[in-house]
Amino acid sequence: MDEIAAFLIIITLELVGGKMREAFSYFLLISGLIFWAWGTITILEKRSVLYKLHSISVSDTLGSILIVLGLAWRGGHKLSLLILAIISLALWNTMLGYVLAYCSNEQGGKKLDG
Amino acid sequence: MRYIIVCMLLLLLIPIYQTAKEEDIWQRMLAASSVSTKAAVMTLAVAAFRDDEMMTVVGVLILTVGNAGIMLLAHLLRKISS
Amino acid sequence: MILHLFFRLGIWFLLTSDFSPANIMIGMAVAFVLPKPPISFPLREWLPVFARGILMLPQAYKEAIEMMIFPHRYEGLQLEKVRPGRPDFLIFLDIFFITFTPKTVVIKYHKEGWYEVHKVKRHQLIIDGKQK
Repeated sequence: MDEIAAFLIIITLELVGGKMREAFSYFLLISGLIFWAWGTITILEKRSVLYKLHSISVSDTLGSILIVLGLAWRGGHKLSLLILAIISLALWNTMLGYVLAYCSNEQGGKKLDG
Repeated sequence: MRYIIVCMLLLLLIPIYQTAKEEDIWQRMLAASSVSTKAAVMTLAVAAFRDDEMMTVVGVLILTVGNAGIMLLAHLLRKISS
Repeated sequence: MILHLFFRLGIWFLLTSDFSPANIMIGMAVAFVLPKPPISFPLREWLPVFARGILMLPQAYKEAIEMMIFPHRYEGLQLEKVRPGRPDFLIFLDIFFITFTPKTVVIKYHKEGWYEVHKVKRHQLIIDGKQK
């Protein structure tokens, strides 16, 4: 009797675990999409390049990292490739932000109207 | 999963529109870099949707080398304009 | 001095995810043949850098959520002072960490020992550095 009870408990845990896993994956994906949407709508405003860089940094670096984490949580991918994707997202987007800020500021420093 | 990809596609249209509309070159570069990252992440998402290993490799390769072009272009523009 | 080899091999194995002997040989050969980077950095100094990098990630998300909930309408320039004459790699890491958090972006590094940082603010305008 005890074995059957233990088996049932394990099955229930597995089922809940599977559902939870999928739900958490969707949670990560949708929050990443919210980050994307916020940052992308901000670049439609009429602001300076540097101001837009902040919101682009939110959407493209942090939101994309959330989306890739959600994809990794779903399983089915090779995990190593997704880790490499996260590392290169963080590195390249940050360096690109610095380079764009440096270069655009060098050219038109007077465009900084708050 | 399909709705998530549709949402990503709609969000991808915004920086493309911005790239076409803006006059200032740096605003255009900003929007173009946003397009590049979004397209690569979308490739990863489509790969997960279709259970395709090879597309994942393509997406990761775009992510690792794609932004270098925009960085070089930014330096080139700064050198030309100064 | 071994760390850059580990770095290259790590990227190689993350990309290929294949531990067959031929692949290990190719990765080792490429990692040895590529020229050595000029920086040399003792392992003892890496540990605070790693700790700072791990702490930086939750802070970046915290700042992003703050920016999403409360609108930050104002922007301004600020100067941050650091010790001059640091090694190049530490300067790169400093700029990387400051730029990674979404509220702050480094614009320029001056050799005399300060960064020019662009910030978004909730309330008031920062005046200094604006009249240049």
